Amino acid sequence: MSQERQYELVYIAGPDSSEEQLADLHTQVEQIAARFNGRVEKTENWGKRKLAYEIGRHREGVYVLEHLYGTGEMTKELDRRLKVSDVVIRHLIVRVDEDLAVAERATTERKADQARRRVARGLPPEPDPSERRGDGDDSDGDSVMEDMR
Amino acid sequence: MSDERSTGRGRGRDKGDKAKGERRSFSRRRRVCKFCAEKIDYINYKDVRQLASFIPERGKLQPRRISGACALHQRKVRTAIARARQLALLPYVTD
Repeated sequence: MSQERQYELVYIAGPDSSEEQLADLHTQVEQIAARFNGRVEKTENWGKRKLAYEIGRHREGVYVLEHLYGTGEMTKELDRRLKVSDVVIRHLIVRVDEDLAVAERATTERKADQARRRVARGLPPEPDPSERRGDGDDSDGDSVMEDMR
Repeated sequence: MSDERSTGRGRGRDKGDKAKGERRSFSRRRRVCKFCAEKIDYINYKDVRQLASFIPERGKLQPRRISGACALHQRKVRTAIARARQLALLPYVTD
């Protein structure tokens, strides 16, 4: 029933948490993911960052980003565990597969549209790198012309 | 607009209308959504620098009439900022 989806998990650990604690957290996340047949694809540690506002007397925090694949139940469990954790002061789980798919579709559609217009003008579908300096100007000019017609 | 002007009106009125119309056409610029123009499809909540341009000093969201973003992209900006705020990447308020 439950489908595998792509998630991003960001958690902020307290500024004075040790390497050990961070590693511990990471293995915990991995274990939970594994328990729900998910997996951690990639981990990024942003290091210590200043918080935009205080969270429970903390002014700084260690940000860690995990790219996850798994089910909704997995995120539920992660959510629960992270809420309870003393080390983590804030966390956020975001489902990203849909947004990325939408973005990708928009990109391919625009490319196809550009190719179609270029062919209509009797040009090769792909703009040549030597044709213009910036590719931002190109389609802009096109659309303005089409609007005026 | 021009049709209306040509359908015969008093001279004085005509002049006034014209002046108004001209002034209007001066201030009205073709506005293009920044994200559409730059072909940004995915607005990331982790990219603080990109989002910061949509948050004036006070820390509030910039309205669409000022940011010039289209409805779709303004909505995406809004969700991205909301997420960034939750993670204390951006402030809720600044004073």
